[in-house]
Amino acid sequence: MSSSIASRSIGILLPLVVSLIVSGVVLLVIGKNPLDVFSLIATESFGNARRIAATLSAATPLLFTAVATAVCFRSGVFNVGVEGAFLVGGLAAVFLGFTLPAAWGFALFPICFFAAALIGAIWLYVPGILLAKFEVDEVVSTLMLNFIAVAITGYLVNGPLLSPLSGNNVTPLIHEVAYLPRLMPPSTLHAGFLIGLVCVAAYGFWCRYTPAGFEGGLIGLNQRFSRAVGISVPRTIVGVMILSGVIAGIGGAAHGMGQMHRFSDGFSPGYGFTGMAVALLGRNHPIGIVLGAILFGALASAGTTIQLFSNIPLDLVNIIQGTVMIFAVVELGRISLRRKKGTANAG
Amino acid sequence: MMTNMTRRILQVTTACTSLMAGSALWADERPAAMIIAQGGLGDGSWNDTANAGFQSGLEKTGVEGRTIESADVAAQGEEIMRRAADGGFGLVISLEWIHGEPMEMLAKDYPDTNWVIMNQTRTGDNIASVVFGEHEGSFLAGALAAQVTTDTSIEGINADATIGVIGGFKAPGIDKFIVGYIQGAKAVNPDIEVKVAYADSFGDPAKGLQMANAMFDEGADIVYQVAGGTGIGIIEAAKARGHYAIGVDSDQDGMAPGNVLTSMVKRVDVAVDEIVTGYAADNFPGGEVIQFGLAENGVALSEMTHTKDKVPAAYIERVTAYKAQIIAGELDVWDVSSQGYPDFFK
Repeated sequence: MSSSIASRSIGILLPLVVSLIVSGVVLLVIGKNPLDVFSLIATESFGNARRIAATLSAATPLLFTAVATAVCFRSGVFNVGVEGAFLVGGLAAVFLGFTLPAAWGFALFPICFFAAALIGAIWLYVPGILLAKFEVDEVVSTLMLNFIAVAITGYLVNGPLLSPLSGNNVTPLIHEVAYLPRLMPPSTLHAGFLIGLVCVAAYGFWCRYTPAGFEGGLIGLNQRFSRAVGISVPRTIVGVMILSGVIAGIGGAAHGMGQMHRFSDGFSPGYGFTGMAVALLGRNHPIGIVLGAILFGALASAGTTIQLFSNIPLDLVNIIQGTVMIFAVVELGRISLRRKKGTANAG
Repeated sequence: MMTNMTRRILQVTTACTSLMAGSALWADERPAAMIIAQGGLGDGSWNDTANAGFQSGLEKTGVEGRTIESADVAAQGEEIMRRAADGGFGLVISLEWIHGEPMEMLAKDYPDTNWVIMNQTRTGDNIASVVFGEHEGSFLAGALAAQVTTDTSIEGINADATIGVIGGFKAPGIDKFIVGYIQGAKAVNPDIEVKVAYADSFGDPAKGLQMANAMFDEGADIVYQVAGGTGIGIIEAAKARGHYAIGVDSDQDGMAPGNVLTSMVKRVDVAVDEIVTGYAADNFPGGEVIQFGLAENGVALSEMTHTKDKVPAAYIERVTAYKAQIIAGELDVWDVSSQGYPDFFK
């Protein structure tokens, strides 16, 4: 167990260290002092309470998308459709948030979140059943569904749901009573962060202490063995896909009701994909996911604000993010190779 | 309507009083920040044009300035703006439409910071709202197209009095262009047919190409594109078919030299430059809605570098005459964004 914790921390730290070296070289080449830049990034990420709040705020959507991804990845289901479920879930919640009467007050929260979870579940149920019943490759189907989600939400937000007050691609604002409360005003950090942490904790509990979570992990390790011990692989696959959709949908709702207060083009700049990197980096482990989400949140938030105080282009932050992602994926390659060889153990 | 001069004087006086506290403390040293909208720098359009004006304004005034890009600019806007104000920036410009509400809210917390938002009106003593007269520029584009479209002596033009316009989406912000264009065309020729279509996307050149081809098949020979990236396909179609497109926002004449009749250029560079210069001179138009129309050189037709030899000078003179009439207030162009929809276009 302790060796697995050690290897997990290496799994997070190694890509980070490598990416710091790579971007340090880039900085030297463009004539900047890497230490100055890195310390600026560190202060902009965690320098004071307000900056920490900004980092956690940027990390919030990633908590959801990373858990939604991890639920599937640990079962060997390569669902890359979290982005789409996040979008449709977010739009569903926002739509109800400005359509239902404001007088419903607090009742809007459960209604919007439930709707988002339901839509997200349906969204990923489709590729789930296609994979389980007809062996339709889930990477292709979920990837394609992302495009459909972007197209549908894009159409709705530019047409039927377009705010009459605007020429741009945004819906009206949701009712103020449906705004998730902010945790540390004036920072945008909102209660969605806590909901995200609850999701991570529930995911950890589900993995460890529930039969469904155990079965999910088992089919990820060895499908033939799982079948042999009487686990229904198709049912488990559909189950994890639905669960992934639920979490992604809730994530979209939290982002819509806590951060954006509306739906717009650019509602998600790719949280689903960054969430994938977070899940890989965190090796699907709850604590790894939280740390990974905070790391990427810090890069997103500090990577933007350092531009105020230094002549550093956004590209540099993209290089750091990109290298972290590459090395996170390298880890994935190693894991799946090990699985093919059949040497993985169930520990 | 106030004359330009009185408005300017008003701006000076209001800005001076509202900035008293700030200027006493900071003199002119506080830097300026400009937040880049979705699409980022290098878009060859909105962001790049604004940045050109920003840089020229900084250079002229010696004010220090930064541009800020974010992959997640929609969600992080509020944090970025607060950080800029906390970090001692005296002028914060956002090019991102969606930052309007958060800016209105947080500007109250930072009375000594000057805020600028584009393409919308926000209230606050320290917020300047910049809006463009796209309807006026589009009127000129329509007036030019209506004259050219029946002149068969020009290569690629048929005898049909038919022109087209393709919008990104059916939305008031887009119809503002389209209605101005139709009005300009009808001013020249009341019987002209203006085909209107929407691509339902700002980023689908293939669809733009297809739709422009359909319009060309139906007898249109000039198609105005108000569709962002989709419009690139419209310009390609014009080039392939030997007809004409009209560019939008930035000078797109060079994208298919000779096949882009003109471009309706939105001079966000002029606007940003003027804002920065005003800020440096303690003349920030806080609390004002600043119109950048034809009169302010905020919108204009392009220089027509590749087409002005093809088009008879008389046509261009007529367009210039319309421009003078609009500036003089003798000709009102319908503005969908403030007046709603006119009877001739629902």
